[in-house]
Amino acid sequence: MSLGDFLGVQTWVGTISWGAPIALAALGGTFSERTGVVNIAMEGLMLISAFFSVLGAWALHNAWLGLGVGVVSAMLFALLFAWGAIRFKADQIILGMAINTLAMGLTGYLLNTIFGYGGTPVNTPQLPTVSIPLLASIPWLGPVLFRQNVLIYALFILLVLSHFLLFHTRLGLRMRAVGEHPQAADAAGINVYRIRYLGVLLSGFFSGLAGAYLSIGALNSFNVNMSNGRGYIALAAMIFGGWTPLGAFGASMLFGFASSIAFNLQGLGIPKDLVLMLPYVATIVALAGVVGRTTAPAADGVPYDPSESS
Amino acid sequence: MVRRRPALVSLLLALSLVLAACGGAPAAKTGSPQQGQQAASGGKTIRVGLVTDVGGLNDHSFNYLADQGLQRAKTELGIQGQVVESHNQTDYIPNLTNFAQQGYDLVIAVGFLMTDAVKTVAKQYPDTKFLLIDDQIEGMPNVASAMFRSEQAGYLVGALTGLIEKQHALPNLKGRDQVAVIGGMKIPPVDAYIAGFQAGVKAVSPQTKVNLVYEGKFDDPTGGREVALSQIAQGSDILFHVAGGTGTGVIKAAESQGVYAIGVDADQNYLAPQTVITSALKRVDVATFDVIKSVRDGTFQPGVHWFDLTNDGVGYAKPVAAVPQSIVRQVEQIRQQIIDGQIKVPATVSQ
Repeated sequence: MSLGDFLGVQTWVGTISWGAPIALAALGGTFSERTGVVNIAMEGLMLISAFFSVLGAWALHNAWLGLGVGVVSAMLFALLFAWGAIRFKADQIILGMAINTLAMGLTGYLLNTIFGYGGTPVNTPQLPTVSIPLLASIPWLGPVLFRQNVLIYALFILLVLSHFLLFHTRLGLRMRAVGEHPQAADAAGINVYRIRYLGVLLSGFFSGLAGAYLSIGALNSFNVNMSNGRGYIALAAMIFGGWTPLGAFGASMLFGFASSIAFNLQGLGIPKDLVLMLPYVATIVALAGVVGRTTAPAADGVPYDPSESS
Repeated sequence: MVRRRPALVSLLLALSLVLAACGGAPAAKTGSPQQGQQAASGGKTIRVGLVTDVGGLNDHSFNYLADQGLQRAKTELGIQGQVVESHNQTDYIPNLTNFAQQGYDLVIAVGFLMTDAVKTVAKQYPDTKFLLIDDQIEGMPNVASAMFRSEQAGYLVGALTGLIEKQHALPNLKGRDQVAVIGGMKIPPVDAYIAGFQAGVKAVSPQTKVNLVYEGKFDDPTGGREVALSQIAQGSDILFHVAGGTGTGVIKAAESQGVYAIGVDADQNYLAPQTVITSALKRVDVATFDVIKSVRDGTFQPGVHWFDLTNDGVGYAKPVAAVPQSIVRQVEQIRQQIIDGQIKVPATVSQ
């Protein structure tokens, strides 16, 4: 393998496609955490959506309807999570892990029950990959950015919208207020619970897109545990990105880049166990080195109880 | 005042554990003691528990085949069988123990990664018989292990690949004379296939380059797709995967780029009929069935059982029609030469 292959177009195409599902989930995580709810359940929400997207696409003979089914299913589970975390003030980490375990068991059970042991049908519809005319024929940039699955274009658009919503709208200001100082926000007449429900639901929406990308975007099948820890990496990327959409996106793409070159480095004769660790090591180093200088929303992870004074 | 509801969390956790345990539900339906038929010869109906590895029963390869063997034993031998899936490596010991505790006659552990778990549990339950697939346990009177000379299967599909590259025998080849192997984890049963494949290609077409990449997991098809796309972009046009569930993504990538793939363990042609030109076969179903039968017949032999070309324990699936008959004939000759001992196939990988 030459250096040309090593940093060639395919490395950057790989960066985007490894990074995209993580970035989608991480964007959603930003909303959840900015309103004050630590959403470790993103892993499970992705898995739920990955399964229901395939189920929907197969049953309704349409990948777009499948996407809708997947996203709605993830949002319903996000609602369950929000209900426990906000209404009942349950420990968010434990509740999140419960959702993740539930997602694993439920999808495995439904996969076997509905599709049997032969796996999901091979003729399941898949979301299209679209080349944007003219732009796609630009050297290097074309294949990297403009010859992609529709969900990757959705990621770019949602990235801009998320940034705008969070930092340039009244609603965004309210979300940030609720995550920083819910008592003050409450006193100012903001419905803290409602804003937090919205944050977690948005997280469910984005995790749903991420899960759908894994199963009916990149592929057209579901496998047990196919989210494979990406939800946790998304959580790390969101923290590394300083609880901002742009930061979360950048951190996700850094992880994507590390994954993409990791597999090329194997071909250069570097021990493969070291290489396979690379994306995770990059995440740890980034978190350890950078997080000290970023600050979480002050009320992140703390259930809001109006009767408590602060 | 802080009101918390631990009950809600506990309920959710309990529900999720129940569901997790239901993973093998379809098999469980037929597993209740009342429904079992009497065994033809033994008089007592034997009970067999199967514990899968983390890839799950829908992996299109290894775990799936083990279940096929169990299902065949159920219909042909009238045994009772139950399956439970492992979702984590920490599930191995509880799953194995659970069957042993309930007095199952034979407990089957599917996969190399379960070796230590089997050693631990088999020691505690000396009256239960165990079958470990893909690793060797010797010297325990109640443990049999099934080993496959997968390198022979790898060698045959490797020779087929080498001949196709050398003769440019398929229409969508890129002419770079380069192929790729994508492994899951780097463990001996995976490497046996890979070593055989490398040797097989080299024997018939020394100039063909074989790239080797490990994806690192058996249950990440999306990742398998990315790794495969990268290899295809670098010029590989036949991709052999030894990666369980991850491999379905490899096949999908080959299909989307119009190149070729080779399946593993089971005949995976149905996943992409134009793309999967053949599959390296490992008859986990045969091994499972044979050992169940030996337990029923009272002829159970502990120790290592070898499955290879001589007893059809490994092999390759019938290549698709696009592969020239002359090449298939050559591969058949090579197969005979391995059986006759004229070709020795290595089982360790060269990087």
